[in-house]
Amino acid sequence: MKTINNIIELVGWEAIKLLIGLIGVLVVVVVNALVLTWAERKVSGHMQRRIGPKEVGPCGMLQPIADTIKLIAKELLTPQNVERPLYFLAPVIVFIPVMVSFVVIPFDAYLQVKDINVGILVILAFSSLSVLSILLAGWGSNNKYSLIGSVRSVAQNIAYEIPLLLALLAVVLMTNSLSLRDIVESQKGLWYIVSQPIAFLVFFIAGVAETNRTPFDLPEAESELVAGFHTEYSGMRFALFFLAEYTNIFIICAITTTFFLGGYHGPILPGFVWFFGKTYLLVFVILWFRWTFPRVRFDQLLNFSWKLLIPVSLLNLIVTGGILKL
Amino acid sequence: MVGKILEEIKASLVNVNFHDASYEQSGYHLSVDVQTGNIPDSVKFFKDKAFYLEDLFCVDYIDYLELVYFFNRYEELCRVKVTSKVDAGKPIAPTISNSYTMAHWYEREIHEFFGVYFDGHPNMTYLFLHEGIDHYPLRKKAVPVPDEDKKLLNSFKPQEEEDCFFVNLGPQHPSTHGVLRVVVKMDGEYIISAEPVLGYLHRMHEKMAENRSYLQFLPNPARIDYPGALLLNLAHVATVEKLCGIPVPERAQYIRTITCELNRIASHLLWLGAFPADLGALTPFMYAFDDREQILDILEDVTGSRLTYCYFRFGGLYNDVGDTFVDKTKAFIKRMRERFPMYEKLITGNVIFVNRAKGTGIFQQVDARKYGCTGPFVRSTGIPYDIRKAEPYAVYDQVDFDIPVGTAGDNIDRYHVRVAEMEMSLRIIEQALAKLPPGPFKTEKVPKKLKPPKGDVYYAVESSRGEAGVYVVSDESDTPYRMRWRVPSFSNLMTFPSLAEGNLIADAIATLGSYDIVVPEIDR
Repeated sequence: MKTINNIIELVGWEAIKLLIGLIGVLVVVVVNALVLTWAERKVSGHMQRRIGPKEVGPCGMLQPIADTIKLIAKELLTPQNVERPLYFLAPVIVFIPVMVSFVVIPFDAYLQVKDINVGILVILAFSSLSVLSILLAGWGSNNKYSLIGSVRSVAQNIAYEIPLLLALLAVVLMTNSLSLRDIVESQKGLWYIVSQPIAFLVFFIAGVAETNRTPFDLPEAESELVAGFHTEYSGMRFALFFLAEYTNIFIICAITTTFFLGGYHGPILPGFVWFFGKTYLLVFVILWFRWTFPRVRFDQLLNFSWKLLIPVSLLNLIVTGGILKL
Repeated sequence: MVGKILEEIKASLVNVNFHDASYEQSGYHLSVDVQTGNIPDSVKFFKDKAFYLEDLFCVDYIDYLELVYFFNRYEELCRVKVTSKVDAGKPIAPTISNSYTMAHWYEREIHEFFGVYFDGHPNMTYLFLHEGIDHYPLRKKAVPVPDEDKKLLNSFKPQEEEDCFFVNLGPQHPSTHGVLRVVVKMDGEYIISAEPVLGYLHRMHEKMAENRSYLQFLPNPARIDYPGALLLNLAHVATVEKLCGIPVPERAQYIRTITCELNRIASHLLWLGAFPADLGALTPFMYAFDDREQILDILEDVTGSRLTYCYFRFGGLYNDVGDTFVDKTKAFIKRMRERFPMYEKLITGNVIFVNRAKGTGIFQQVDARKYGCTGPFVRSTGIPYDIRKAEPYAVYDQVDFDIPVGTAGDNIDRYHVRVAEMEMSLRIIEQALAKLPPGPFKTEKVPKKLKPPKGDVYYAVESSRGEAGVYVVSDESDTPYRMRWRVPSFSNLMTFPSLAEGNLIADAIATLGSYDIVVPEIDR
């Protein structure tokens, strides 16, 4: 007990809290990815008149664990002629921004690793970094499919980050704060989905595009580019891309919940139940998209952002500002 | 009408010999014998008269090689066989690829199988074979291939240039539906040129046919076109029946029609599932397969197999349909009719799908003749050409149906034509079931060892992809002297380079998916 007190005195209570929080984040990331892989297979199964995995565990719930063991046990193959440093670095880099984003998300009134007064900026800044790893993977793989996939990804991410930001700015204008907790607290009475429906739609669509999911899954368009930027990756390196993709989906849904669906607010049940409930509902919608929509074409994708989403979100921002000023 | 055109041909063509042919016996209206030097002039005449190139192949008569050109018209049936004798020792003929683009591939095929050189052909390289073949495969006597002729397509080792790069779509690629390979030259996302590379599934069915009796060849057609196995099975069986003059009982003809149409729906359903998958929507695939399973169950009861059917026999069928066949088929028709509105909502109602398919991969009606395209592919451009109407076989003249056509010839038109065709097939099945007569299901006393009389015959059926024709030359032995398969996917695929050029890679892949190509059929 004394040593613990000594350590706390030495590094400070805040640091300990942060450490515990980070470990918690790691757990959440991994568990979330496991749940989502299972959910994706189940959802797709039922949407396609199948039942999905059912052998490992009840309703196949342990299937993701079996898959993880398989992926870890696999030999790490490195194709010849790859740009070795970049090829190895890419799956590592893809994972870091994802972890940082979790730090500022308020899961409940008191369940937040660290409330930073520029919380949303932290998330957006770091999530833009993930495109760097996709570019590295595509370039380093020395594969034409990968390269096309990663170049598409960069163009797509740049195009969709702007409406993403503009949609969030409208909410920030209304709360006068960049802190996620403040934004949630200000939704105690009315959720922003009611007062900012356009911003919600724009943000969610742009979010789906940011996570490279169908109908915007051009960087990994299966029928065109085999597997896009991760064509040459296998085993655990592939698993890291996979993990990052599912975590990104979760983060986008978590931010949507925080900004537009009242975060952890909700009657009777504890806050984090509401938070996760709302988030996973949105996750389900994204899975639903994937198994119903075809893929858009590249020029359609960019036109949709530059010609529709950006003007609409800009207009929304101006109108919001105007009303607030009045 | 046919008579008038034939008269015109006879009046206009000079320096040729005409042989009147009986359509009932041989399947073509007129046979024209042309000197090798006069081929381009004669072909130009057919081109001006809006004939399309139905087929082009070669027959080895040991003393000489005979080039056979089949011309036909979309408007009304007028099949003309043009033959030209080529010296077997030093076979040279002028190319017709400047008049008919499709001849590019046909001539390359003849070149590698028979060793005929085509003067003026821009790219006389192998289409199907590899360099290891020592002798021309389809020559009757062993004729060695000179080393300098063992040329593969240049694009096997494409030269990288500045500002563009090459991508191999296939032979192992998720979008090519089999082992088709397309070498694509790209500038960013845009395709500069595309060149299909064939032969990964080449099995030389035409040579196999020469080495086995007509009966022994029965299982092969199902391997040529696996999704539409019964339709090609019918093509083979009916050709031999025509050659030998074997009558077929009416009940057998009705059952043939019903099972063929069921097979056509199954084949179109396979395509209906695969096409949205090429556009990134994976769910329709499962729905289409669900329906397809119902057909496979019905056909399994009747034929005993689920994919590579071999059900028809010379003079009838292998066995009669079971008691439950009619009820099951009626139940399927009812089920399928209820499913169409759902497909309408699921696929056609999807704005992304429509935006992707509309206005992409446009094939102009005027180009159809150059390539000899058939089937839903050419019907989507607005040409109502269907063998079932043009030269009815089985009992298609006794049922009432329309030919669905498109207008623009783009991907969504091809989609609409195929869906409408499925509905039409249901209508045909319904009528045929109502009229299904009792009686024998096969002709008795068909000899086990068929020895057809000397002669040749061309017979075509409408497979789910277009005109599948069989040309057989018989020398009174129990094996065909030459059996030629005219397959629809081959001539349809030839149009791909022109459709892909200048378009986005995503559109090109959607277009390739809309062809409904079957690679074993192209490679044979």
